[in-house]
Amino acid sequence: MAIVEASASPALLEEAGQGRVRGWLRHLELAFPIGLLTLIIGACFFWPMIAAVPQPVGGDVLESNLPAFSPGHLLGTDPNGNDVFSRILYGGRSSLVVGVAVNVLGLLVGGTLGAVSAYAGGKIDAVIMRLLDVLIAFPSLVLTLAVAQSLGPSQLNTIFALAFFSVPAFARVSRAATLRLREQPFMMAAQLCGTSTWRMLFRHIAPNITPQLVTFSMLGMGIIIVIEGALSFLGLGIPPPAPSWGNMISQGQQALSATPMLVVWPCVVLFLTVLAFNLLGETLRGRWSGR
Amino acid sequence: MSIEEMAERTAIVADGGGQPLLEVEDLRVRFESRGRRVNAVNGLSYRLYEGRMLAIIGESGSGKSVSSRALMGLLPGSARISGSARFQGRQLLGLPDREMRRHRGADIAMVFQDPARSLNPTMRIGAQITEAVRAHGDVDKRAAYERAMELLQLVRLPAPERRFHEYPHQLSGGMRQRVMIAIALAADPKLLIADEATTALDVTTQAQIMELLLELQERLGMAIILISHDLGLAATYAHDVIVMYAGRAVEYAPASTLFAAVRMPYTEALLGAIPRLERPPHSPLPVTPGQPPDLTALPAGCPFEPRCPRAQDDCRTEAPPFTEHEPGHWWACYHPCEGSSS
Amino acid sequence: MTVTDPALGDARETAAPGVATRILRSPSLRLIVRRLLAAIPIIIGVSLLTFIVLSLIPGNAAQLLLGPEATPEQVEAMTRQMGLDQPPVQRYLDWLGGALTGDLGTSLVSQQPVTSELGVRLGVTGELVGLAFLMSLGFAIPVALLAAYRPNRLFDRVSMLVSITGLAVANYVIALLLVLVFAVQFTFFPAIGYVPLSQGLGENLRSMLLPAVSIAFPLFCFYTRFLRGDLVDQLQGEDYITTARAKGIGPWQVLLRHAFRNSSFGLLTVVGLNLGTLIGATVIIEQIFALPGIGQLMLQAINTRDFVVVQACVVVFAVVAVLANLVTDLLYAVLDPRIRYGNR
Repeated sequence: MAIVEASASPALLEEAGQGRVRGWLRHLELAFPIGLLTLIIGACFFWPMIAAVPQPVGGDVLESNLPAFSPGHLLGTDPNGNDVFSRILYGGRSSLVVGVAVNVLGLLVGGTLGAVSAYAGGKIDAVIMRLLDVLIAFPSLVLTLAVAQSLGPSQLNTIFALAFFSVPAFARVSRAATLRLREQPFMMAAQLCGTSTWRMLFRHIAPNITPQLVTFSMLGMGIIIVIEGALSFLGLGIPPPAPSWGNMISQGQQALSATPMLVVWPCVVLFLTVLAFNLLGETLRGRWSGR
Repeated sequence: MSIEEMAERTAIVADGGGQPLLEVEDLRVRFESRGRRVNAVNGLSYRLYEGRMLAIIGESGSGKSVSSRALMGLLPGSARISGSARFQGRQLLGLPDREMRRHRGADIAMVFQDPARSLNPTMRIGAQITEAVRAHGDVDKRAAYERAMELLQLVRLPAPERRFHEYPHQLSGGMRQRVMIAIALAADPKLLIADEATTALDVTTQAQIMELLLELQERLGMAIILISHDLGLAATYAHDVIVMYAGRAVEYAPASTLFAAVRMPYTEALLGAIPRLERPPHSPLPVTPGQPPDLTALPAGCPFEPRCPRAQDDCRTEAPPFTEHEPGHWWACYHPCEGSSS
Repeated sequence: MTVTDPALGDARETAAPGVATRILRSPSLRLIVRRLLAAIPIIIGVSLLTFIVLSLIPGNAAQLLLGPEATPEQVEAMTRQMGLDQPPVQRYLDWLGGALTGDLGTSLVSQQPVTSELGVRLGVTGELVGLAFLMSLGFAIPVALLAAYRPNRLFDRVSMLVSITGLAVANYVIALLLVLVFAVQFTFFPAIGYVPLSQGLGENLRSMLLPAVSIAFPLFCFYTRFLRGDLVDQLQGEDYITTARAKGIGPWQVLLRHAFRNSSFGLLTVVGLNLGTLIGATVIIEQIFALPGIGQLMLQAINTRDFVVVQACVVVFAVVAVLANLVTDLLYAVLDPRIRYGNR
């Protein structure tokens, strides 16, 4: 950037600062998503341990379709008499577990694939990238179906199927990051020193691309939670009666006009969770890129 | 160009006479962001007369580029500008963008450092020139084309009809800079600011572009501000020289006066950094030690003091004033050089 | 999307020996051919992968089709009729041979040729996706331009807040909320169902509006953010923007003629990449609104285990995704002079 040649970074000069308000906003853009996530994760995993929450399944049909704030049922009950609040908490567990597992798998497998591919270059790179192209063009829905049909729909199988979606995405990010890294002088220096390939990958490449991959996984959490919801919504993910946000929305849709809140509640938590992950991802990306 | 020729040039346009074309007084530019404050220009004053070439010399971060962009209103919104800059008597600073636009291109035009980046890569050369032609005055397409051809011939671009329809990446660096100059000349500006216009070019092309600028200056009677880090360039081509350090002018004189007797230790350090044939082979180039000053926290004393070989105690307490110590020769130093260098 | 190939570089020096030779040797054409060739293995790979995945599913499709009461003889006859007694490699090659001649097989359930069914369905999905793109870009471009015109002012901040919030809303959530508000609470629009174009454009659009908005809204948010970010980066960091401003032209002209022109290449790439993933989004939206598109067809086929139809749908999705990328690259090559002339 040549506009200003003062010894300051371009970011420093990009916009008029408003001093204290800006500093405050800067804290907030990190504190808000982290706070929201702590709240959601804490509620899903620990609230049922410390407070008495009705079981999410096996409800009494006599207690079906209770309105919100009924005694003992904070958000009311669904047509099967199950407590909606409890189902949201337990459903959140499965969404979050699936999201984390799929992203960790993507980060480890995809991240390694991409780095190796970019570092090796040539034929290996071409072959790996073509395979990933095929995976990207392949609808995860069909894979999920196949897995669900052969092994039965379950949380584990959903994770396995969605990993086919996340691995190529992470591999691409990791490959691009490694390619950029390869042009850095210190990489050349390390290579000239005769550093072994494994050492190059783990000591020089991995630490440098991890921040980008972690940032990407925040955005990936949002995407995977949405897709998991979609699969459950279509009856291909977490099988009922076990709760998940997606299948709660799907069940609620059948009586949308009579009891709209059965759809609205899981939609709201889904939205807030995805929003928190997106905001955190955006903020981290901004920070890493040196804003 | 020999020293004699240069002296002659200086003599012809001696004082320009009468009102200066551009009069800058106590120009200050500050950038503020996230509570940090960068003092890029700290009280710069100079006058430029018609037909003269003024060189503003300094390292990166000395404020030479920022100060000229401030004149054209091309700084980002985080810039806080104060002081005065009168062009033909009219105040430029603080003009709303709508009025500033009338001066840009028509009165003051600018050529930038890297012609590869300062031309739009996705627009044809012709479109970029005619846009500048049509920005001022109601010109129809045909006339704009004619004018663009005239400009391309003026800057000596070979095969202008063909180049008109080409894209920047199809041209060499020197040709691109010629196109940039053509764009700058489109509306007959009275002042051309060449912001490191030859830095990104190789030495031969650099000389060609400088000769072109000189020739155009004589033909069109423009004033030129030559912004550079290269004192040699200033010595060869400019009438007057300002040396800037830490956003301040530290030495100002006609080129002949300045190079006959450099007073400012910083200017001398810059001169010393130029390789010379007279030096014995393999002798190391003298390097000015230390870092350029931190513009977020300038010292109370002379900003060059930490790096200055002639620094004494008084340099630390108060910055030396920038005053005219000899007729036409200004500097800001308590302990100037004796004036027998170069 | 960089298509820099040293082999293309020499095209610049090519003289003009004749129109035909020039077209044949033009970098654009070579690029098209190269990219088309690269797309073929991907499509074959996807079809093969689908085939393997589907054949891994336990259970005999003939048995499933005939139901539990069928006699073993009936099942065996059906198996032979469906060609399922052949070895898998043979079956795949047969399928591939048919697919190359435009025959994607016969539906196991309806006994209709899959190709003709797909044609009708593709029209519905195409209309849905087309409308969604039109709407999202039609709103995103002006909003992004207005936001970038005065960065960090009120309009910019509000539009950025809306778009980052909107990105967190899943399209099926939007779809259900739209149905709830516009079709259930106030009956402005039909809640579900599809009115073909033959029954009038107005009615057709009325039935397509809510589904298209469901897909378009997240896209709108995404494009707005992307375009605004790219425009502001250019306005603050690119030298040719400074050149343009130094010419004395107005801020809108700088924004439109210089910044937007360059940003449009990036936007084009993003739109092309989206088209591939978008086709997946139609599955759920078509399901919610009961639109007879290709997504709905695939879901039905999955549920009825009509693997011939599933296979065909997957291949269509893959072809669309790959073609979208291809067309993006080629448009890029045609529009961006740096690539058009084979070097940068």
